[in-house]
Amino acid sequence: MTATVGATASGPPLQKFRLRWPKFALAIPSFIWYVFLFVVPVVLVLVNSFGTKVTGTPGKVDLSSPTLERYREVVDGSFRTVLKQTMETSILGTVLCLVISLPVAYFLAFKVGPKAKVVVLALLMVPFFTNYLLRTLAWKIVLQPKGFVSNLLQDSHWFTLGQTLRDGPIQILDSRSAVQLAIVYNYLPLMIFPLWVALDRVELHLREASKDLGAGRIRTFLQVTMPLAMPGIVAGLVLVFVPLSGDYVTAKLLGGVKGNMIGAAVAEQYFNAQNAASGSAIAVSLIISILLVLAVVAGVAWFAKRLLAANRKVTVPER
Amino acid sequence: MTRRDDTTRILISEEAAQRLARVVSRRTFLAMTGGVAAAAALAACGSDEKSSDSSSSGSDTSSAESTASPSTGDSSTGGDFDKTINMYTWAEYDDLDLLKSWGDIKLTIFNSNEEAIQKLVQGGGSSGFDMVVPTGAYIPQLVAAGLLKEIDKTRIPNFSNLDAAYINQSWDPDNKHSVCKNWGSTGWIYDTTVVTTEIKTWSDFIAAAQGEASGLTSILDTAPNLCGMYFWANGIPWTTEKKADLDACEDFLVNEFASHIKAFDSYPGINLTAGSYALSMVWNGDARQGLIGVEESGGDTNQYKWGLGAPETELWMDNWCILEEAKNVDAAYDFINFILDPANSVKDLQFHGYNTGIKGVEELTGDVPFKDMIFFTPDEVARLRAGTVNSGQDRLVEIYSNVKAKAGG
Repeated sequence: MTATVGATASGPPLQKFRLRWPKFALAIPSFIWYVFLFVVPVVLVLVNSFGTKVTGTPGKVDLSSPTLERYREVVDGSFRTVLKQTMETSILGTVLCLVISLPVAYFLAFKVGPKAKVVVLALLMVPFFTNYLLRTLAWKIVLQPKGFVSNLLQDSHWFTLGQTLRDGPIQILDSRSAVQLAIVYNYLPLMIFPLWVALDRVELHLREASKDLGAGRIRTFLQVTMPLAMPGIVAGLVLVFVPLSGDYVTAKLLGGVKGNMIGAAVAEQYFNAQNAASGSAIAVSLIISILLVLAVVAGVAWFAKRLLAANRKVTVPER
Repeated sequence: MTRRDDTTRILISEEAAQRLARVVSRRTFLAMTGGVAAAAALAACGSDEKSSDSSSSGSDTSSAESTASPSTGDSSTGGDFDKTINMYTWAEYDDLDLLKSWGDIKLTIFNSNEEAIQKLVQGGGSSGFDMVVPTGAYIPQLVAAGLLKEIDKTRIPNFSNLDAAYINQSWDPDNKHSVCKNWGSTGWIYDTTVVTTEIKTWSDFIAAAQGEASGLTSILDTAPNLCGMYFWANGIPWTTEKKADLDACEDFLVNEFASHIKAFDSYPGINLTAGSYALSMVWNGDARQGLIGVEESGGDTNQYKWGLGAPETELWMDNWCILEEAKNVDAAYDFINFILDPANSVKDLQFHGYNTGIKGVEELTGDVPFKDMIFFTPDEVARLRAGTVNSGQDRLVEIYSNVKAKAGG
């Protein structure tokens, strides 16, 4: 013990008087943050979802007789269609992000030299740190029926030897394809970064060992690299799927009526219908849907893992 | 252990060197991320003072004057005050140069009256705005919520410049809480290369939307306008509260009309050059701004045709209102008086293309492009019907949500 060095001969060791904070003291700020900015609002939304709109007021909710009527409206009414479409767009978007990100992350982790890596990372990061709204609006310019892409495709003088690639202007804007496209573009970095970090952690030794033991490139990838990178893949999937499901800006800017998403419907209920009860019920339904999808995916993954383990000839110790 | 000092040289295998480089670059990545984040945070801090509402999506803040120091009001209009106003209003609705010539006005944009009211109520008297520009029919709701200050007309000498037709409206008798900013109406604009039959009435509009312009039609993003189209076409008052009318409206719009809509867009005019729609329901001033835009970008305006709704159509009036929570009431009065000056009013009109209701404004305006889209003939004025917010409103919004969901399916 060196703490007593500072104490004078006459006095007791300083250490005795030191205030001992409980270990969770450091967590108090984030705890307060969590309670007031997450738990309380979510509980309020949950409570409001059992209420009824007070007609003629801007968003007042009558909670005197709690009812499940708002949820019945979500399930029976038009919102179910929108919720279903949102889930389809989100799942497809997440899968597309994974399919595109995997080769990029693999390339970045194993094939790029250290100097080029900085450049590649910068190329990925600069758009990611650009304002989300700006990136989405940029797509609006690119996809306009009278935009430069559309004009180029209709131009017969350019690279296509007198042929036009299209007869009329492109009609992608205000459709679900436009939303799907922009969403994959916007959320791609959120998938690439965790995947890259996970792949980067895979020890070269293990991959070498796999090859030494006779596994080919594909088998090494599937049975060594991929399982080791699994935590990163899971993190990427969750990181992309959850915010994507609640996305509101992309649908609002590029979706028209066909690409409507549930986030926009929630805003619509709060601001245009002035119906906080209905908006809350839709928001809660969205949260439930997200959890449900995650639970199903986790269940399937767990089952697949068990199945693989059962059929494996050699037992690999879990890391 | 690794050292980043370049002078240290290590003898290791090629694989190990690669691994080492990876470790280093992961650290570089974190450093880069941190650097960019810090820069972004700094940038955000720098802009904080200007954007009070930057977090909510859909809102947009812009400042009429961001650099010059606020000028001070002259003593003749009641003492010293800062000529600064925080205004909550619609998009593309004010001539920024004109605002700048008065003082420093910060504009924050809302997309619908409902949204504006909701946000003002949620703000609970501390939303930070001095003025709001709502549509007449929504003023009773704002007054009931205690959001508006009563207006002292003796402080607005230029109030007498307003034409008698635009004061003392049913939703605000004796202008207790509002002063007319401008009024306008709703019609359509279409691309004649796609829609070849002329559109003369709302019935023609519906037929074109279901026919030649199917999937290329935009509708104003408000419930009363969507449902109004059906009521106007069928000779039903658009303020109807009858269940049978509303049910018939829903049945038609959801089952027969929804699938032909491309988008709900409140500003199809200013987006005309993008070429997204062949047929749009549009406010007259926005359509006019769109045609001017086409002209400026070298396009042919004869390709597009504007028409005011028939046999009946909307009459709306947007109004200057001072909020109960306003911090700078003196400046608000001074500004309202300024904008009611005929010369200033005309400048404002030339920008947004809506009639400002000042006596003799048509003559004062002089020669401007598409003047017939600003000033209507007596025949056209006879078609206009004022809207109202009544017990049918909730049902209209319900119909509108159902149409949106159906259109997407």
